Amino acid sequence: MRKLWLLLLATVTAFVLAACSDKGDGSSKDEVSEYRTVYSGEIKTLNYLKTAEANEFAMSANLIDGLIEYDQYGIVQPSLAEEWSANEDNTVWTFKLREGVKWVTHEGEEYADVVAQDFVEGLNYVLDAKNESSTAWIATVVKNGDAFYNGEITDFAEVGVKALDDYTLEYTMENPTPYFLSMLNYVCFFPVNGEFLAEKGDTFGTTKETTLYNGAFILDKFESQNERVLVKNESYWDKDNVYIDRIRYKYNKEALTVAPELFLRGEIDSAEIPTSVVDEWFNDEEKKSQLRQIRNNFYTYFYALNFNPQFDEEYEPQNWKVAVNNKNFRKSLYHALDRVSAMLTTEPFEPESLLNNTITPKNFVDVDGVDYTQLAPLADISNTDSFNSDLALEFKEKAMAELDGKATFPVKMVIPYNSGSPDWANRTQVVEQQLENLLGADYIDLIVEAGPSTGFLSEIRHPGKYALLEANWGPDYADPASYTDPFTEGGTYNKPELAEGYTDANGKSKYQNLVDAAKAEMDPAKRYELFAQAEAFLIEEAFVIPYAVGGTGYIASKLNPFEAQYSPFGVTLEKFKGQRLLEEPMSNEEFKEALAAWEQERTEALANAGE
Amino acid sequence: MGIYSEEISNISQKSNDNLFDFAIVDEKKAEQTGYSNYSYWRSTWQSFLKNRIAVFLLVVVGLIIAFVIIQPYLPYQKSPTEIYIDETTGSQARNIAPGSEFWFGTNSIGQDLWSRIWTGTRTSLFIGFVVAFAEVIVGISVGALWGFSRKLETPITQLYNIVENIPTTIVLILMSFILRPSISTIIIAMCITGWVEMARFIRNQIVILRDREYNLASKCLGTPSYRIILKNLLPYLISVIMLRMSLAIPFAIGAEVFLTYIGLGLPISEPSLGNLINEGRVLMMSPDLRYQLIFPSVVLSIITIAFYIIGNAFADAADPKNHV
Amino acid sequence: MLWYIGKRLLQSVLTLFIIITIVFSLLRLMPEEGYLGAAAEKMTPEQQEIILTNLGLRDPLLVQLGNFYMDLFKGELGTSVTYRTDVPVTTIISEKIMYSLLFGLGAVVMSLVIGVPLGILMAHMKGRWLDRLGTGYIVFVVAVPAAVYYIFIQMYVTDLFNLPLLFDEYNKMSWILPLTSMALAPTASYAMWMRRYMVDELNKDYIKLARAKGVKERTLMFRHVMRNAFIPMAQYLPATILFTITGSIYIESLYSIPGMGGLLVDAIQRQDNSVVQGLVLIFSSLGIIGLFLGDLAMALVDPRIKLGKGGSTR
Repeated sequence: MRKLWLLLLATVTAFVLAACSDKGDGSSKDEVSEYRTVYSGEIKTLNYLKTAEANEFAMSANLIDGLIEYDQYGIVQPSLAEEWSANEDNTVWTFKLREGVKWVTHEGEEYADVVAQDFVEGLNYVLDAKNESSTAWIATVVKNGDAFYNGEITDFAEVGVKALDDYTLEYTMENPTPYFLSMLNYVCFFPVNGEFLAEKGDTFGTTKETTLYNGAFILDKFESQNERVLVKNESYWDKDNVYIDRIRYKYNKEALTVAPELFLRGEIDSAEIPTSVVDEWFNDEEKKSQLRQIRNNFYTYFYALNFNPQFDEEYEPQNWKVAVNNKNFRKSLYHALDRVSAMLTTEPFEPESLLNNTITPKNFVDVDGVDYTQLAPLADISNTDSFNSDLALEFKEKAMAELDGKATFPVKMVIPYNSGSPDWANRTQVVEQQLENLLGADYIDLIVEAGPSTGFLSEIRHPGKYALLEANWGPDYADPASYTDPFTEGGTYNKPELAEGYTDANGKSKYQNLVDAAKAEMDPAKRYELFAQAEAFLIEEAFVIPYAVGGTGYIASKLNPFEAQYSPFGVTLEKFKGQRLLEEPMSNEEFKEALAAWEQERTEALANAGE
Repeated sequence: MGIYSEEISNISQKSNDNLFDFAIVDEKKAEQTGYSNYSYWRSTWQSFLKNRIAVFLLVVVGLIIAFVIIQPYLPYQKSPTEIYIDETTGSQARNIAPGSEFWFGTNSIGQDLWSRIWTGTRTSLFIGFVVAFAEVIVGISVGALWGFSRKLETPITQLYNIVENIPTTIVLILMSFILRPSISTIIIAMCITGWVEMARFIRNQIVILRDREYNLASKCLGTPSYRIILKNLLPYLISVIMLRMSLAIPFAIGAEVFLTYIGLGLPISEPSLGNLINEGRVLMMSPDLRYQLIFPSVVLSIITIAFYIIGNAFADAADPKNHV
Repeated sequence: MLWYIGKRLLQSVLTLFIIITIVFSLLRLMPEEGYLGAAAEKMTPEQQEIILTNLGLRDPLLVQLGNFYMDLFKGELGTSVTYRTDVPVTTIISEKIMYSLLFGLGAVVMSLVIGVPLGILMAHMKGRWLDRLGTGYIVFVVAVPAAVYYIFIQMYVTDLFNLPLLFDEYNKMSWILPLTSMALAPTASYAMWMRRYMVDELNKDYIKLARAKGVKERTLMFRHVMRNAFIPMAQYLPATILFTITGSIYIESLYSIPGMGGLLVDAIQRQDNSVVQGLVLIFSSLGIIGLFLGDLAMALVDPRIKLGKGGSTR
């Protein structure tokens, strides 16, 4: 028996010794500026012509450059195109390319020059349906793009993109497109070296070796679910504006849970702080100065009232349909929703900062420095909080009187959420309780339902299995038309075209006609005014209840967000170019000051750019 | 027959009807032979009582079950799903530490953790019991047929090989994906694979027992198969069955935690121990909020350990070898 | 013997075939939106349709199945679709397998080294404090869901010994916790089985006889009791070792180890059919091979057992 004990002891000792001997072996920090972070969402490909996922956009943003980029105020700047021009009706766009930009391999060796033909090759790949590009829907803005994608045209020469010479590129549009520049930062308009693409075939973009780089960084290591390392591209055309030498992404399935702790231990330079622990950080003297709000993005969140209810008979969809077609009923919900209390589930400290009173968020587009949301038709809506319990109750009385005998009270409202999102689940419970308490259980009865985490859209939203639903939408190009897509005919949201009593003489819904009129107008000032009218109508009639903008939460980060390129379109926001690592993370006070200063500077910059 | 047939007919002719009666199967009389005052269940119970820890835990489990059922009707109980509003600030009573108002504190949106934990325990126990029952019933039926019927042996063996070799994880995940997240989904997913172990166990035991002399005797006497299974074989197996069942409950609870962990469990509007722990897990790095992880973990551990020990103790007690 | 192996092999192939077919069909029930990714929202229905057709999802199920088996016959597992687009499944899996194997084998060795002696000691000191302590440990580890105590270990032990929170290949300190955590459960079960078999064996008549004959206690323990107690364990060992390559979902995700456990969950969540099919093929084959090796091992350890007779009771 003693031998056994000895054996056991020896093994344990050996283990401990082996473990301890490596203690002093920590990697020493060298002089390079390195940014480290953890992630949980893995990228599946480097093939930027194929993907449409945010995580992969973040890679291509730093590895590949497109024709244009933005400065930190959101003004278009030259990138691979040095200058450009459009014809009178914005249907033909010509770009003069920068000379001497190189494609390099993963080892940093120069492979070829970036020429105009590379952009043609890129678009050809995207519009070829067999390549299953997820961004083809943007690229079809180009003449004959859709026809080529669907196979109606087989000769790519007929598609509206041409390399006039090595450094001149010309795009022809399907329709007048004044906002075409804003689409160029989508991956589908990125260049690709045709020879390399042909050589690699199906393996293009699957590994770091089968990808070519012309951007600020080169991929040095790519092991999925382990680590990704980006290093600075020494042949980059604008390398003086790249201040970070290395970016290290470490995988952790539970990134959200462990990131704050890793940040505190100095193992990473940026961590999102989950709402549930934000309290603790703010109450702690040391941690307090290290976290700040995340910058808002341009996603818009709203509650959609469904005009095509298809939920279970058990919950009386017909009854809901009668109720929702009553304006007073809708208005009562519109004014009853306390958006602050809903927002508290994700942003407990400054919920108001995220609320959005319109569908189009502010700072999106402007007319001579006047923000779109402050144009006459929308100004009122933008500047008042929709929550008003007195008005809500008033509308309730009216609705009950009008619907007496037509609808049965309480009206049952199915309000589903995606069970993959705990925040959404919590918010839905809050909304249910808040609405029922305010309007009374004799009036409405909200039924909270858990939807599937994958296939939520195709099982819940598309078939209309809801009465009230939190939904969101992100813009695709710099024009208010981008925010009308969900509500026009063919949209997959709440089908406001089915609302009763809003059909115009031409058989189309009133909203549709307003949008069509706006789309036909080319003068920006008038165009935006018309879009604002359409949007005001949508909100005024309470077809939707605007709720918030995206970008919820807090972050501890050593990056200064105001140095980054700024634009809601394409991959712009993901670029590290221009950003420096701070010694200390920005505190929330500093963030707010910087934000105020930035807004000031931006207004000036916009005004200057306008001239 | 042949040479004896004549003799047999002689005997039957000679014997007259009065001499022989058809015996009627009489259960009471059948049991009377070999009577002693030994009662299986009483002995089992008595030897179970000797294990004090197990008895204590049985009481604990009994109390928990009773409490979980009556808890909503007790005074001073809060609703598990209602979001409480802090009167001073007018906003949700978020992350309030345990105290006199909220006994176990509140979670990140102001729901009462005390009542959530008991509601969650109810859900988890319900899942555990249903799954255990289903496993036992299906497992015993299939196992008995498998062991007893020679015709069914090959097909069931093949079925067993298939179910056994599809990794359980894959079945659990796939089923939760294809069906919607709900209690019944979880139960179905767990039952699909759960019964095989039980069936195999029963089958092996039956194979061992079926050819023993007393069963051969029974067979020769013309006892129908179902009766042999029910009366001769299953009582032998009662201890193993009880053991399996009491282990199936902690296992089912564990599987629920697992499913929630990989994001396929019950929606959080329906509290269960799994999603309470999962919610708490996010907070593990903040000492002030750890109570949200610790409370449900402790309750869960008590329950699973209790079932495990009770099961083992009962299995020991139910083994007639230990009755002497 | 050869006849027996041949029969077993044929049976296994049939089983594998059925398993793959079932999983294949189940995968085709997954929501279609999952194949389209984040962009589904903005694509037109026609564009979605084109992508789904290109993926082969619009073919009849039998055609899809046929194609799959054709490829499999040629030895191809296909390329990944949504996990790592266009990368061969074999490449993906081979990247991961080493990590799971290292951790798995490490944990098996560790649990054998600790668990078996623990079981022996417990049997030896039955009813005394070590036995009680060991039993307490076993009950805890077996009964409480692993997810719970893994979290607590990561939470408190990293703090206590100042160990790294996440796994890093080049930092050996970061191997300790995941390995130890992984070894906890198997250690408990080895100890439990070892103890039970030893106790059973010690109660047998031949031991009493040997004792009566004056055989030394140590000889008794090592020559007789342990050998016999090992037999049932020998049956499960091959399968246990083979299965280490499937990795541990919890441990891998908690410590961010790039192994197979995470791969399976991710592949299913991303609905990467070819990766899932590849994994199922591997895992199921392992199960079947493990079973077979277990029977062989048992026959090797115990000459009394002969294979091929008395059906396949295990």
